[in-house]
Amino acid sequence: MKSITDFFANLGGNVLSAVQKLGRGHMLFFQMVMGMDEILRRPSLLIKQLFYVGVLSVILISLSGFFVGMVLGLQGYYTLSQFGAEATLGVMVAASLVRELGPVVTALLFAGRAGSALTAEVGLMKATEQLSGLEMMAVNPIRRVLTPRLFGGIISMPLLAAMFSMFGVLGGWFVGVGLLGVDDGTYWSQMQTKIDLHEDIYNGIIKSIVFGVVCTWIALFEGYDSTPTSEGLSRATTRTVVHSAFAILGLDFILTAIMFGE
Amino acid sequence: MSSHDDIPLVKIRNLHFKRGSKMIFDGIDMDIPRQKVTAIMGPSGTGKTTLLKLIGGQLRPDQGTIEVDGENIHALGTRDLYKLRMRMGMLFQSGALLTDINVFENVADPLREHTDLSENMLRRLVLLKLEAVGLRGARDLMPSELSGGMARRVALARAIALDPMMIMYDEPFTGQDPISMGVLVKLIRSLNDAAHISSIMVSHDVRETLEIADMVFVISNGKVVDHGEPEALHSSAMKWTKQFIEGLPDGPVPFHYPAPELVEDLLD
Repeated sequence: MKSITDFFANLGGNVLSAVQKLGRGHMLFFQMVMGMDEILRRPSLLIKQLFYVGVLSVILISLSGFFVGMVLGLQGYYTLSQFGAEATLGVMVAASLVRELGPVVTALLFAGRAGSALTAEVGLMKATEQLSGLEMMAVNPIRRVLTPRLFGGIISMPLLAAMFSMFGVLGGWFVGVGLLGVDDGTYWSQMQTKIDLHEDIYNGIIKSIVFGVVCTWIALFEGYDSTPTSEGLSRATTRTVVHSAFAILGLDFILTAIMFGE
Repeated sequence: MSSHDDIPLVKIRNLHFKRGSKMIFDGIDMDIPRQKVTAIMGPSGTGKTTLLKLIGGQLRPDQGTIEVDGENIHALGTRDLYKLRMRMGMLFQSGALLTDINVFENVADPLREHTDLSENMLRRLVLLKLEAVGLRGARDLMPSELSGGMARRVALARAIALDPMMIMYDEPFTGQDPISMGVLVKLIRSLNDAAHISSIMVSHDVRETLEIADMVFVISNGKVVDHGEPEALHSSAMKWTKQFIEGLPDGPVPFHYPAPELVEDLLD
C-alpha cells in the first residue's frame, strides 16, 4: 500500500516541479525580453555576444554545411540519375537545405556549441557570485547578462543557417558538377527557377528564428536555474543540449506541417 | 550625508529566517551604528553571509524587519530597492568580479550603468578608485590574472565606485596571506575614517576583526549571544564568547558531534 502512495506522491511531486520550472522559464523569458532597452542603451553588450555566439560558430557551421551539401549531392545524384533526372540535382540540394537541413542542423550544432557554452558561462557566473554581485551593485543581472545573450542568439541563428545553406549548395555543386559531371548551367538555372523566395527561403528563415529563440532561451534558463555546484552545472549543460535537440526536432515537425501542409 | 543621522544605519528587529527546516535566525535585534566598523562574528554556518544578504534585500526574512537608512528594505519596490542598493556596497568573499572584462572595466561598470559621465571623466574616476586600493597599475589585467587578495581589492574599488554610504564585507580576511590581510585591514579602516563609509563586516578571524572593529556582535544558534566594544568582549564573562575569542577546542560548543557513548558504539 505504502509503495503505491509513494508512487503517486513522487509522480505528483515530479509534475509539480516540472510545472514550476516551466513557469520560472517563462517568467525569465518575459524578463529578458523586457530588458531589451538595455541593449539599445549599451549596444556594445550585444555586439560582444554576437561575436561570441555567432562569429565564433562560423567555421563550424560553414564546414558542416559544406560536408552535408556534398553528401546530398552524392546521394541525390545516385537516386536522380536512375530516372535520368540528374539535371534537377541543384533543386534537390537547395530545397533540402533551405527548407529543412539548414535551419535544423544549424540549430542542433548551435545548441552543442553555443548553447552549452552559454549554460556553463551563466551557471558559473551564478556559482561565483557574479550575478549576486551585480544585483548588489543595483544592476539587474537578467538585463545586463542574459538579455544581450538572448538577442545575440536570435540574431545569429538565421545568419548562421543562411551560411550553412550557402556552403551546402556549394558542396553539392562541388560533388555534382565538379566530380560527377552534372551540367554547370543546369545546376544553377534549375535551382533559380524552382526555389521560391516565399515558399522556401522565407519559411526557412522563420524556422531558424524560432530555433534561435528556443535554443538560446533553453541554454540561458538552464544556466540561470542551475544548482551552483560542479554536478549541478554538468547536469544543466547536458539538459541544455538534450532539451534543445528535442525542442528543435519537435518544433520542426510542427512548423513544417503549418508551412507546407495543404 | 544622510538626512537621518540620528537613527542607526541598519536597524534589525525580531528577525526570523529559516532555510528549509533549519532555523538560521531566531529573533535577532541589532542596531548597526553609522560611520563605525561593526563586526558580526560567529562560527562557520551561523548564517553571517545570510545576514548580509538579508540586509541587502537579496533574501526575505520569514518574520521581523530590517531598516537600512530608515527604509524598510523588504517593503521597497524594485526601483526603490535598486536606488537604495546604489548607496550600499558589498564585497563578496570571492570578489565576484566579472571574469570577461578587465580590471578597469570592472570598476567602470557600475559608473557606466548608473551615470552618464563622459569617457574622460569616467577614466579619471576609475583611476582614482584603483589608486585608493593601490592597483592603478593593474588596470589592464584580467580577473584571472589577479591573486585572491588583489581580486578582493579590485572588488573593493568597484564597491566604492558610486561613493556608497556603507560597505558590507563578507569574510574579507579568509584565505589571505599576512601581507594582503594587513593591506585589507588598513583599507577597511581608512575607507571608514577618511571617506566616511560605514562598514559592516562578517568574519571569524578574531584577531584581525577585533583589531579594527569599533563594535562587535557575536551570533550563535540564531541569536545574538554577546555584543559590545572589542575590549569588553575580551573580558566578557560569557563562556561562549570566551571560547570563541580564545579559540578553545572544547567548551559550550563541544568538540564532539552528539553521539552515543563511545563504549556502547564500539561494542555494538
